[in-house]
Amino acid sequence: MHIINIFAIIIIFTVFYMATVKRITSLINGFLVQSLFISLYVFSEGVLTKNMELYSVAFILFLLKVIVIPLILKQLIKNIKGAFSISLFITLVGMFLMIFRKKAISQIIGLLVMENGLFLLAAAIANGLPFFIEITIFFDILVSVMILGVFVYRINTLFTHIDTNKLTRLKG
Amino acid sequence: MEIFLILGITAFLAIISFFIKNYKALSLVNVLGHLAVLSIVAKLTADIYGNGASISMFNFFYADPLSIFFMLIIGIINAASIIYSVSYISNDLKENIISSAKASLYYVLFNALAFATFLVVMVDNLGMLWIAIELTTLISALLVGFYNKKNSIEAAWKYIIICSVGITIALFGTILFYYAATLTGATSINWTNFMAIATKLDPQILKVAFLFIFVGYGTKAGIVPLHTWLPDAHSQAPTPISMLLSGVLLKTAIYAIIRFTIIINKSVGIEYSSSLFGLFGLLSLGIAAGFILVQKDIKRLLAYSSIEHIGIILIGLSFPGIGIYGALLHTFNHAMTKSFMFLGAGNIVKKYKTGNMNIIRGVINLLPFTGTLFILGAFALGGTPPFSIFLSEFTILMAGFQNKSYLTCGLFLFFIAIIFGAIIHHFSKIIFGKEPADSKVKGYEDFFRTSSISLIFLFIFLIAFGIIVPSFASKILLLAAEVIKQ
Repeated sequence: MHIINIFAIIIIFTVFYMATVKRITSLINGFLVQSLFISLYVFSEGVLTKNMELYSVAFILFLLKVIVIPLILKQLIKNIKGAFSISLFITLVGMFLMIFRKKAISQIIGLLVMENGLFLLAAAIANGLPFFIEITIFFDILVSVMILGVFVYRINTLFTHIDTNKLTRLKG
Repeated sequence: MEIFLILGITAFLAIISFFIKNYKALSLVNVLGHLAVLSIVAKLTADIYGNGASISMFNFFYADPLSIFFMLIIGIINAASIIYSVSYISNDLKENIISSAKASLYYVLFNALAFATFLVVMVDNLGMLWIAIELTTLISALLVGFYNKKNSIEAAWKYIIICSVGITIALFGTILFYYAATLTGATSINWTNFMAIATKLDPQILKVAFLFIFVGYGTKAGIVPLHTWLPDAHSQAPTPISMLLSGVLLKTAIYAIIRFTIIINKSVGIEYSSSLFGLFGLLSLGIAAGFILVQKDIKRLLAYSSIEHIGIILIGLSFPGIGIYGALLHTFNHAMTKSFMFLGAGNIVKKYKTGNMNIIRGVINLLPFTGTLFILGAFALGGTPPFSIFLSEFTILMAGFQNKSYLTCGLFLFFIAIIFGAIIHHFSKIIFGKEPADSKVKGYEDFFRTSSISLIFLFIFLIAFGIIVPSFASKILLLAAEVIKQ
């Protein structure tokens, strides 16, 4: 087995790790490890194909995503002593995704990211909403994703694309 | 007890509609069910009228005069809409626009929507309120996209995405409200609990939280500049659903805003919320006036008019005292009048097979019954006496002058004058004039249809509240306004 495949498997595991961990620092560490292996992956790809450009891509990846960004995020946690700003940040990123990504599915993802941010917020500042409400909101989100999925399917069959930028029939 | 009956009947209807294949039986069961719900709401109203008390159950359900007042609006509009749906859907079946399975699906969704809207005004729990409003968005989006045409799917997608983002922001506001409560040691997210500790809550947090609530639920209420989904969704939905969207769903969002306003008014004083309401009310009114002037599609025009009236309701809420009474009265009157107008417009669109007001001419010759009522309704919508909207707009203006808000009142009068002119211009053009000669307009008559029953049923409210507010209605409104002022 080639070493590059091992990197790929490790990257997949880091995704699972990040999906399951609850603490913010573990999440950032997960991100750090994931970025490290992605840059290693790119580097060995460069070695295999003897492509000099990939070396620099790997180097920039390593510099930004393994060193700078995790450092900033960790500094952020130290300063605010809570997940308030981070949850706000996640919510805004979700909104950003919805506005600037035009595919219908990325809008759904953006919505889910926004809601993720809010759960983090609820957990951080109010120790979570009352249990019953939290469960019902989860259920509600599940239903909404299903219904949004139905609409994406219908948009795809009717318009033969899912680019919401081109949904401009109704005006005025 | 009544609360369970209302929720139970609507839920039961939603399930049973799935299994009834015979259209006559299906529509009969639904009409009877919604009339039963309306009579239960009437009984609740009569109970409240007697003692003005509130109902609270399991720390979860809560109904005071304010919720009963909104229940009354929902009950009336649901009944009118379901009666209209009978002929509307049967016409679609006859013209093979939809299959009979889809007709069943329509009734299932209709009742699910009725269930969710009733739930909005019945729950004490503010988290549950959020969930119920999100549910109404999801179900009504399916109804907006009911015909599965390009236009309706586009409208439904915009509706569900914009309102979901809005509602997520409202959840943010709700969490901040809850945070403010936990700082005082409370663990309950119930509205009654918030009212009990309102004076102890941190006003700075509440102010920020209320902004999120206002933006979030304001998106659902169609307040400018968050209204962009509204004309699309209201014009593309099947007409009985347009009635519900304008008459009921906008009002439930207003209801949610009012619930939070009561808490924040008690905590930080009335000036904060009323300045927000006044500003955005005027903005909605002004933007809607421009769009109504240049509108070409009959249902889009009515949708923009809904934005205008939401603006008027907000302006009413911004004036303390009699203004709140006026705002509630206007909420009721607008629900009745707008549903009435959508119904008339629905008949016209079915007859002419288009909503384009440059093509529709001579409605009064082709549809004498609808045409007559529709032009009267146009005057009612513009705010002419002796119709109900005049009375509520006059009440709000009176409150404004009492409050010495001359600038707001002046702009308010200016915009509604423009809108009155625009509405009368557009609608007199389509009602009178020479009807198109082609045979396409043959085949749809407005007599002997259940839509006529709904039209007359709603018209009674336009007239009955026109000259003077009936004393029992006035008492209910006063009780509801009392809840807001506390």
